[in-house]
Amino acid sequence: MHPSTHAYEHGTDQLLRPLLLSLADDDFMLGYRDSEWTGIAPMLEEDIAMSSVSQDEIGHARALYEISVEMGRRATSDEEYGGSPKTIAREVDALAYGREKTEYHSSWLAEHHRGDWAFTIARRYLYETADEVRLEALSGSACTPLANVLTKVRREERYHTMHLRTWLDRLAASPAARPRLLAALHSLWPDALGFWEELEGEDSLVASGAMPLSSEAMRERWLTRITAELEEHGISGPDAGLTPRTGGRRGERSPGFEEFWAEVTQVYRLHPGATW
Amino acid sequence: MDMHVYEVFQQQKEGGALVHSGNIQAPDDRLAIHYARELYGRRGESVRLWVIPRDHVLELTDPDLLKPPFDRSYRSVEGYRLRDKLASVRAAREGS
Amino acid sequence: MAVETEATIEERTQAFRDHVTSGGKVEMTDWMPDEYRRSVLKFIEMHANSEIMGVLPEREWINRAPSVRRKLALTSKVQDEVGHGQLLYRLAEDLGKPREQMLEDLMAGRTKFHNVFHYPTHTWADVGIIAWLVDAAAILSQKALLTCSYAPYARTMQKICWEESFHIKHGYDIVLSMMNGTEEQRAMVQEALDRWWGPLMQFHGPPTPVEKDKDLAWRIKSKGNEQLRQEFLSMYVPRILDLGLSIPDPNLRYDEETGRWQYTEPSWEELRSVVTGHGPRSQERLAFRRLNYDQGEWVRQAVMTAS
Repeated sequence: MHPSTHAYEHGTDQLLRPLLLSLADDDFMLGYRDSEWTGIAPMLEEDIAMSSVSQDEIGHARALYEISVEMGRRATSDEEYGGSPKTIAREVDALAYGREKTEYHSSWLAEHHRGDWAFTIARRYLYETADEVRLEALSGSACTPLANVLTKVRREERYHTMHLRTWLDRLAASPAARPRLLAALHSLWPDALGFWEELEGEDSLVASGAMPLSSEAMRERWLTRITAELEEHGISGPDAGLTPRTGGRRGERSPGFEEFWAEVTQVYRLHPGATW
Repeated sequence: MDMHVYEVFQQQKEGGALVHSGNIQAPDDRLAIHYARELYGRRGESVRLWVIPRDHVLELTDPDLLKPPFDRSYRSVEGYRLRDKLASVRAAREGS
Repeated sequence: MAVETEATIEERTQAFRDHVTSGGKVEMTDWMPDEYRRSVLKFIEMHANSEIMGVLPEREWINRAPSVRRKLALTSKVQDEVGHGQLLYRLAEDLGKPREQMLEDLMAGRTKFHNVFHYPTHTWADVGIIAWLVDAAAILSQKALLTCSYAPYARTMQKICWEESFHIKHGYDIVLSMMNGTEEQRAMVQEALDRWWGPLMQFHGPPTPVEKDKDLAWRIKSKGNEQLRQEFLSMYVPRILDLGLSIPDPNLRYDEETGRWQYTEPSWEELRSVVTGHGPRSQERLAFRRLNYDQGEWVRQAVMTAS
């Protein structure tokens, strides 16, 4: 499938890169972090559910990396890409594991360690609701390959938000769990606001229609929504004067990333270029 | 702990029978749906699941009711041997 | 049973024994002798324990898988094993033992899990060898349970065997990729095989006379330990040698006359010691299980109280 749109014209791949990679890297990091529950979650049933969700996220990241790989190829040659699935997979791996740390565009919200179950649910809640707004807006992107992939992604995200809201309701309603949930939300607000940090070259992304809404406009939409939803649980949104924690979209990695990344790339770096 | 057991029935393709595939436990109906999806549908092997609280399943196994001892062959296809009768009718017709 | 009679327990037990030895099946709600219930429960409980302890060595590699595809495959394999644990604990719960009690007994070392999950993993090649050969050995045992007299267990094994078939291919794929790779990668596979061969040969247990094996008498399992080991060797020795790997047992050979594999007697003493909690990682893994179980206690409580 090679929809021919202006998205593939020379130069656009560089423009689109921060957008594609911020989406992909977020899903990738969060998928990794939540996959750490596999085998040790509080209940066997939840273990399986959380594992499915984390696999979905990594699957979404892979689909987005593929677009980036394909665009990179198109930009450097006039040929149809036509790489074999194996070559594409290798280039996706190089993109996923092989960049310098400063070349990742993930938000800190997605990068944090899974923490305890309350932290995981709070982070997922903030992330999924934000992602919902982002996917909704970007499904109308002028970059057709992106819009197409995101339409599919949104179908899979339905299960995630269903599952997540079940847990939010439960933790909020349990007297013993509620303080943990509130503490986790409190610690995460600056990162949740930082999720909406302006992307590199965002003005051009908006002007070209690749981003139908700016990060700021999406942030406002998201804040309105979750403030109303949290209010139903008697939970207040972020304080008005709170400073967002930013940097993730511009190559700064969160505390704890170094150790995490050393583990993730341990085997990959062992014999560069080897097949495993 | 207050967990409930749910029996899960699975339809593998449209139009097929809903076949009992096992059970799960969950604290309530909402999570039961999630766990049924995970345990019996995460590979795309189902098009429909029925998730039924075990308490609602009525079981009947009594052989006096299900396998009564006297002849019921008149109720089944096997109870009718027609070949010889048909042959006899044909023989009679040819002879006439 | 048909008509309520004044049958003694002995008579009922004998009738039950005749029923299962002639291939009859038992359902959860059927009457069964206590001894049968205990035997099936113990068997299933150890199987369930092995599933959830078996996830720990592989889980150590979930973050280190060297490609996106391997990452997804490994996560989903470990997830399957958790799923199998869930299915099997459910069966055992229906036989009368609460899940918390089973987990407590496991973590306290009162019940067992399979020997192979007491050992450490060293490299990515271990992930390949475990998924290929340990799972192959396990699936042979599991296939021998498809005819189990306890029908709910037999039905669950159908589902489990179906899911496990991808695990073996995933493991074989990892091993093949590495054997096609660099000299170092091939050496990693050989080293992993050398590490796992001993535990693999012990996996099915010491040869036990058929008449002394109660699980066979109750038709819980259908094949003896040595028969399973012979099947494993017949299927996998040729495949292992085919890759240019060598098997670390100078006495291993197929005896044409007896139609059986000869091999160096595995250390049954080591097996006994390992499964009773004295393996190289036994205590560490149980402690890790305990740590995570305790940390999840408030979540389980919250789920119960909020519902």
